[in-house]
Amino acid sequence: MPELSAAGESVEPQENPRELAIIQQWFQTVIMHPDGVTAGVDSAEARQQIDISPDELEQVVTRSAARSSLQRMEVYANAYYARLLECMGNEFPALQHAVGEEAFGGFAFGFLQQYPSSSYTLAELGSRFPRYLKESRPPGEGGSPWWMDFVIDLATYERACSEVFDAPGPEGEPWLTADNLAAVPPEQWSSARLRLVQPLRLMTFDYPVHDYVTAVRQGREPAAPVQAVTRLAVSRRDYIVRRNVVTEIQFELLRALQQGLRLGEALEAAVTAVPDPQVDLAAELGNWFRDWAAAGLIRGISTDSDPEPPTEPAAAPKQD
Amino acid sequence: MTIPERLGLPHAGYGVGLRNVHFAHILNHNPAVDWFEIISENYMDSHGPPRYVLDQIAERYPVVMHGVSLSIGSSDPLDMDYLRKLRSLADSVGSLWVSDHVCWTGIAGLNAHDLLPVPFTEATLRHVIERIRIVQDVLERPLVLENPSTYVTFARSTMTEAEFLTRMATEADCGLLLDVNNVYVSSVNHDLDPQEFIRNLPHERVVQFHLAGHTSYGTHCIDTHDSEVIDPVWDLYRLAHELTGGASTLLEWDAKIPPFPVVHQEVLKAVDRINHRLTPAETMDETPPRPENGFARPDEGTATVPQPATMISAEVE
Ligand SMILES: [Fe+2]
Repeated sequence: MPELSAAGESVEPQENPRELAIIQQWFQTVIMHPDGVTAGVDSAEARQQIDISPDELEQVVTRSAARSSLQRMEVYANAYYARLLECMGNEFPALQHAVGEEAFGGFAFGFLQQYPSSSYTLAELGSRFPRYLKESRPPGEGGSPWWMDFVIDLATYERACSEVFDAPGPEGEPWLTADNLAAVPPEQWSSARLRLVQPLRLMTFDYPVHDYVTAVRQGREPAAPVQAVTRLAVSRRDYIVRRNVVTEIQFELLRALQQGLRLGEALEAAVTAVPDPQVDLAAELGNWFRDWAAAGLIRGISTDSDPEPPTEPAAAPKQD
Repeated sequence: MTIPERLGLPHAGYGVGLRNVHFAHILNHNPAVDWFEIISENYMDSHGPPRYVLDQIAERYPVVMHGVSLSIGSSDPLDMDYLRKLRSLADSVGSLWVSDHVCWTGIAGLNAHDLLPVPFTEATLRHVIERIRIVQDVLERPLVLENPSTYVTFARSTMTEAEFLTRMATEADCGLLLDVNNVYVSSVNHDLDPQEFIRNLPHERVVQFHLAGHTSYGTHCIDTHDSEVIDPVWDLYRLAHELTGGASTLLEWDAKIPPFPVVHQEVLKAVDRINHRLTPAETMDETPPRPENGFARPDEGTATVPQPATMISAEVE
């Protein structure tokens, strides 16, 4: 390739201290350009770094015997979107199933341009995807099809699953038993504090996204989504993400307990939020607690007379 | 001063890259693997199952951390928060050494999550050497850097990759992870002689080898990590083994990942390959289509991702 080395020699002698930064900024602009390498090289942003036309690409990137500089650069450009698209598909399989690979690819492609990764870890990649979908939907009634609501719900739920999956979790902690609950004297219930599982995400959706996601993950064809307000308590048990469907009053009660209110205060807050819970609270409360303890959602209970309750896991002695 | 073989680091034997599809098999069967290599970024921030599994594996096996986001060649500043987390994970799993790639992953705060090529110039060399020193100071253990598969070369490069690696490792006093499959892939892509590449390295600094499969398109190769190691790569491995005196050897399999025993068996072939030179006839017979495991090669139309990302997705009931 004598013509190439001649071109190389003509620019070699002086060394610009910013040379590496310039070539890297140029390279990144070119491979991330949504319209491909030719458009990337020709873009104002790239030409601000290295002012060459696509025809002059060999001045920067050499060709090989069999492949042009353009073809060689295209490996990186294609890989950038293909790799991250695959990661998005891994994190949002139900969303991909719902809209189909092509539309999903379109969403992900737009997302990667709007919110390119700025983290060392791919675990962060999808964190802004629900936000992107919300921001990119056309404003106003009828501005976007109904299923965009479902798509946003799915993205929000699947992202929450990723976060709950890798958060510090309750595995290895003791369980709260029915006996622990029964041991609390009736007069102390209202001042008791319940310790809820960590992680616990209380989430409201317009669609039963959990059924859809579970079906897709189990390889079943999910039923078509039908709008129905759905409240979920998303947590983790035995290293698997679990979700419990809760009613509105249960949701408000769990939310108040999660904020650290005593049971009496929490019930008051829940009833204020849901004045007509359509349930006999006094009759049902005990059942709820038993169910939640069995599901691992309640992990401890403490009363004022019991400053170090036996149902709390023993704290490790401080070493320092 | 003479440099001891492998910088004095142990020969850990024949290992396998830890991938989440194999977690259950490994925990349940305790396969007799010499060691595991982990992708550092998949565990650095994990508080969930990945970290729980890793802790159990690190109790049973030697572990080496292999990163993909150090970005030693980037002109962006080093991410000190990242380095501290890397250090802390290395301490807690007892990583024998810490490796990454001679590459950059992004600039201006972005991460392309790819191993992008650097121009082999004096300026790049000085930049990388300075940064290796900082990283080794923070890690307080040797940094071992790998030659990535590359798909372009730069007109401004003033030295070969082997010369760059040699001067880098010698002047920064770091180790090399010689990926013999990457040598093969890059040599095809850039019309180079892979044997010359391997002969020209500082052999006493080669701490580890990588082996992997790739996809050939005739005019070029893509480092897809989705198949068995091909014979010409085994030949390069044997050459590298002879020149270095042998080093820890690891098989990477990142796409179309077969069951664990298949992956393990693939790296154990290294022992035979060291001791047994195939005749040219055997080599020819054995090369393409490799039908025995049923993993077909993708055709030109299939999107093939170089160095596929390994991320761990959630398990949801
Ligand atoms: Fe490698």
